[in-house]
Amino acid sequence: MNAQKILIIGIQGAMAKITAELLLKSNPGIVIHGVDSRPIENMQKRANFTWQQIKYNRTNFEKLFREHQFDCVLHLGRLGHSPAMGNIHKRIDINLIGTNTILELAQKFRAKKVVILSTHHVYGALPDNPMFLKEDAPLRASFKYAELRDVVEMDQMCTNWMWKNQNEIETIVLRPANIIGPQIKNSITQYLKTPYAPLPIDYNPMFQFIHEFDMASIIVNAVDKLKTGIYNVTSDDVISLHEAAEIIGVKKILVPIIAVEQLAKFLTPVWKFPLYLIDYIKFPSTLDNSELKKNLGIETFRFTAKEALELLK
Amino acid sequence: MVIFKNKFTKLEAALNDRYSKERDPWGLEPSRAINDIKIVWPFYKYYFDVQLHGKEKILDQPYMVVSNHTGQIPIDGLLICTAFATELDQPKLLRPLVERFLTSLPFLGRWSSESGAVLGDRVNCLNLLKRGESILVFPEGVRGIAKDSKDHYKLQRFSKGFLRMALSSKVPILPIAVVGAEDFFPYVFHLKKIAKFLSVPALPVSLNLFPLPSPVDIYVGEPYVLPHELSAEALDEELEPHIIALEKQIEELTQAGLKNKRSIAQRFKS
Repeated sequence: MNAQKILIIGIQGAMAKITAELLLKSNPGIVIHGVDSRPIENMQKRANFTWQQIKYNRTNFEKLFREHQFDCVLHLGRLGHSPAMGNIHKRIDINLIGTNTILELAQKFRAKKVVILSTHHVYGALPDNPMFLKEDAPLRASFKYAELRDVVEMDQMCTNWMWKNQNEIETIVLRPANIIGPQIKNSITQYLKTPYAPLPIDYNPMFQFIHEFDMASIIVNAVDKLKTGIYNVTSDDVISLHEAAEIIGVKKILVPIIAVEQLAKFLTPVWKFPLYLIDYIKFPSTLDNSELKKNLGIETFRFTAKEALELLK
Repeated sequence: MVIFKNKFTKLEAALNDRYSKERDPWGLEPSRAINDIKIVWPFYKYYFDVQLHGKEKILDQPYMVVSNHTGQIPIDGLLICTAFATELDQPKLLRPLVERFLTSLPFLGRWSSESGAVLGDRVNCLNLLKRGESILVFPEGVRGIAKDSKDHYKLQRFSKGFLRMALSSKVPILPIAVVGAEDFFPYVFHLKKIAKFLSVPALPVSLNLFPLPSPVDIYVGEPYVLPHELSAEALDEELEPHIIALEKQIEELTQAGLKNKRSIAQRFKS
């Protein structure tokens, strides 16, 4: 592994913690510094693993980059887009302005590589989506939901920056399918684990899932093996929403999609189901992973989607 | 349904063989598809009295099946799929390419994809053919199916997209013609402006609400062979002669079929 000193942004997140563990295991000589705007808890102390809570602003990041001279930056700190994740100004501030600052500073302080964790949500879930969207498919998520606009803009900002500066710094944008696992607390995991989850009776879109361990392995591989570019990240198999619920073993309540929408609006304070997710349980948004497999080989994933779902039980 | 049981054993074995190891990414549920065909089959056999002519031309290989589109509502697609699933020695579950309008509808979108239909998109089409699926294409689109009575059996111009897909995938084109479906709704008028206002593909008004039991004949043509040197990226002008030839082949099959067309009255007399 070339990178010796790595900055992980969003270290309090489960994905970042698993990635840090894998990085440390794969290369004991590595030094990791994690930051997060949230209080950092449940971390195991190591000599080559430090962390700190910082307010995400230019001054703090500049100080951080100047003091540490990172070789590689893993930006895993995108704020989720559910209303529970704070108001829209805070999200835009962190997702757009914060990311822009991080990219600028990484280049200024001569980091060799930046890895950005985006999401498959940027493609949007639409009735005319073909099966298997390639990386060059248009990003159509923000047509309908303002909540997704900053996510799409962040992705586009990173990819524009990536091509503009490709001769100076390697940048990798990862667009994973639904990441699930016992430690991950994203919207789709919480939805699928909801006892008596309301499932649409009138729609049954195809889903792709990636286990949190596999996702962390891909990020580790991105540090080491992937070259500048955008990569869809998903395992090979696809599973329908209803089949996924059956595998997890949740008790299904079948209702028309209109009822799910109304329930989500009505129960917002207690049921953290972002409204944009309605479209993703109606229409498919499935990824073509051929670019990733071309670069990392066929045996990229340890868990199939079915196995990942079974582990959620 | 028990008396028809043997009719579907080959299809069940074929689908089990194909989809038991690998899940279909477009959402096909083989058991649902078989059940749907079991429900359609009595209508296929006894209500529409469908006859498949030229099935010996269909080999055990993937095809891009290209058909004329008739009958106001896509019953012709259901009947073609049922014919290929039940009448062949090596049954095929055709994957019809459907309009975006259908995939967006509650219940119908789910039912169609679980039964094997797929959104008519170039990426889908290529991926299906790459996986060895046989697809059913109606290159006339909505223009073909939604015709007023005066235009019955008038073939509409084919779009070119399907030909490019066939060239990319090297899957042979199998032309077929459906005769008899226009008589499901013999007197029909289209409210085109209202359909546009409501954003629906077509809004036919017919004297009969339920399709009449018009006997249907499905004629299978000779596979259309595209020249090896023709590229999928060829200019429209280079594709045009092949589009015209295919239109002509389906038109000839239709006209030959119309000469021997069985009418509803004849059917009841016999």
